[in-house]
Amino acid sequence: MNRALVFSLIAALIGSGSLAAAEKLNVVTATQDPASLTREVGGDRVEVTSIGKGYQDPHFIEPKPSFLLLLRKADLLEVVGLDLEIGWLPPLLEQSRNPKILPGAAAYLDLSRGVEILDRPAGAINRSMGDVHPFGNPHYWLDPANAVRMAIQIQQKLAELRPGDAAYFAQRLNDFKLRINDANKRWLADMAPYRGAKIVTYHPSWPNFVKHFGLQVAGTIEPKPGIPPSPSHTLEIINLIKQQNIKVIIMEPYFDRKTPDFIAEKAGAKVVVLYPSVGGKSGLDDYFKLFDANVNELLKALK
Amino acid sequence: MARGHHLFALAGLLLALPATAQQTTEQRMQQLEKRLDDLTREVAQIRQEIDALKSAPTDLTNVQTVSNVSTAGASKVFNPDISVIGNVLGKSGQPNPHEFGPHDARAPLSLDESEMALQAFVDPYAKANFFLSVTHEGIEVEEGYAQFVTLPYGLTARAGKMKSMFGKDNTWHTHLRPWADQPLVIHNFFGDEGLADEGISVSKAFANPWNVFVEGTGEIFSGNVEGVFRRHSLNDLFYNAHLKLFGDINESSNLEIGASFARGALPDDRRGHNQFAGIDLTYRWRPLRQGLYKSFIGRVEAIVNDRSDSERRLKGFYASADRQLAQRWFAGLRLDAADRDRGAAATLTFWPSEFSQLRGELRRIRYGDAGRTVNEFLMQLQFAIGAHGAHTF
Repeated sequence: MNRALVFSLIAALIGSGSLAAAEKLNVVTATQDPASLTREVGGDRVEVTSIGKGYQDPHFIEPKPSFLLLLRKADLLEVVGLDLEIGWLPPLLEQSRNPKILPGAAAYLDLSRGVEILDRPAGAINRSMGDVHPFGNPHYWLDPANAVRMAIQIQQKLAELRPGDAAYFAQRLNDFKLRINDANKRWLADMAPYRGAKIVTYHPSWPNFVKHFGLQVAGTIEPKPGIPPSPSHTLEIINLIKQQNIKVIIMEPYFDRKTPDFIAEKAGAKVVVLYPSVGGKSGLDDYFKLFDANVNELLKALK
Repeated sequence: MARGHHLFALAGLLLALPATAQQTTEQRMQQLEKRLDDLTREVAQIRQEIDALKSAPTDLTNVQTVSNVSTAGASKVFNPDISVIGNVLGKSGQPNPHEFGPHDARAPLSLDESEMALQAFVDPYAKANFFLSVTHEGIEVEEGYAQFVTLPYGLTARAGKMKSMFGKDNTWHTHLRPWADQPLVIHNFFGDEGLADEGISVSKAFANPWNVFVEGTGEIFSGNVEGVFRRHSLNDLFYNAHLKLFGDINESSNLEIGASFARGALPDDRRGHNQFAGIDLTYRWRPLRQGLYKSFIGRVEAIVNDRSDSERRLKGFYASADRQLAQRWFAGLRLDAADRDRGAAATLTFWPSEFSQLRGELRRIRYGDAGRTVNEFLMQLQFAIGAHGAHTF
């Protein structure tokens, strides 16, 4: 009797465990932006974890063995691509012991394959140009149109991996499109008076963002991508800001404020910390909140 | 009122006329050119704005994905990732006969090593890794192995020539070391090349409820490591076992603990075994928000060596601390002990970019058997070209 009870208990435990595992698709993303979009599309049928945090520089995430624990259990891996993860993802994947998520395999989704990419270098490049991305600028998620393109790819992949939930994912994608369309109209209307405004950025993280809102990047605080500010280049930027009467310097939260603050003080501009990723600070829990916050910050500074 | 304004304007124009007439054609040409330039600039700006407006679709419900085709030349896509790292070493200070022979005549500056790495996937199952080391002695395959990445049961395996997974320092290539030299205990016990041999290495990750990464590695090598192990007969293999535990303390810091055991045949003509047991401990701190500017790594590695032809057990360790001072500056300290030798080293490293580093190291070693102390200054310049390698961890 007792034995039967124990057996049925164990059977129930195992059963429930495997059922739960079958219900939710375990998605691991490189950064928090694809994670947010996956939650939009996947709803309660997915469990999403991001390796990178929104407040860290996505180029320099450390390949910690603890991430191997995540990757080993992943049913789907989503990457930003364009070599953004080159410094840390390959060694993790090789040790992940999860053939499903290796590049080229069915559960490896490179979201850069279906989005609009800017700053694709024309002609030969080399590292005297700094840490250039040979396949184009990887910060493409900062354009709501690209967010839709990412969501479409995510929906297609989720449907492929879980055909039974395909209708659910398709319905959620449509819902997301409607909501982001409304939000985007609001963002564009708010930013409309500042079309053509010139700004200075710290790192070239914003080409898609500025293009979407019709802003123009007049210069960057880094003399070359990934190369820290130099005194002579800092002077050039101060002069540039003065000459072109630029009001705003945009920087990412993970860079040092010293040089941007110095430039702002000397040139009479304002430093605005914008968040390149979901999770960039507490409260920026999804893609909508990220854009709400960035648009608000920018409006305050441009007014 | 308006008529009054018109009259004034007309009068102004009439007064200005003689002056205009005096202007040379050249000046007028210049004025016109300037206006043309201004207009051209304005048109370009308007065109840009139109482009921006065009490309910002106001209706996101109709957005379609685009198809980005790989731009790499089709003939080149299967070429392996190639990189070359140069290691220029400068040495000055007192002569060091213990390490560099009785007539220590080191060049003050030399291209100590050029390391070439070739890496690519072989097929869906394996990745090939070759590391060729070019030194004054010639070219050598430092490592060359296939890494099997799709094995079942949480296994990965490597086969070929490779560095043995003994401790931490022994697994690093020159450019991964935070120092210009090897720690004494590694240099004295394992030699310049470290424990590397031809063999097979199998690792398994063990699932556990504590969210700790646990990995066990078993390795069998053919048994020839210069000055450490020698193969006298068919069964004189060299075995190594390594256990690694890694856990996050919190988001910014983590701890890695390792234990290793290696055993092989004595390197000289006497029969018997030579064995090493080691533990290693690595503490890392890097606050994610300021990860570009601040970090700290503390390391300890201790090794005991037992030889069947000697009663005396040899012991050694190193303990090091490396602190990132700014985005491109690192400072470090290392304490060394290996049998009767004692040493200390201080380093300062500057990284102009991710692809080059310049290091100065002051080291002081007291050679116990000789009763002599040697002070040296080492300078190291390392530079990498080619494929972007992964960052070290």
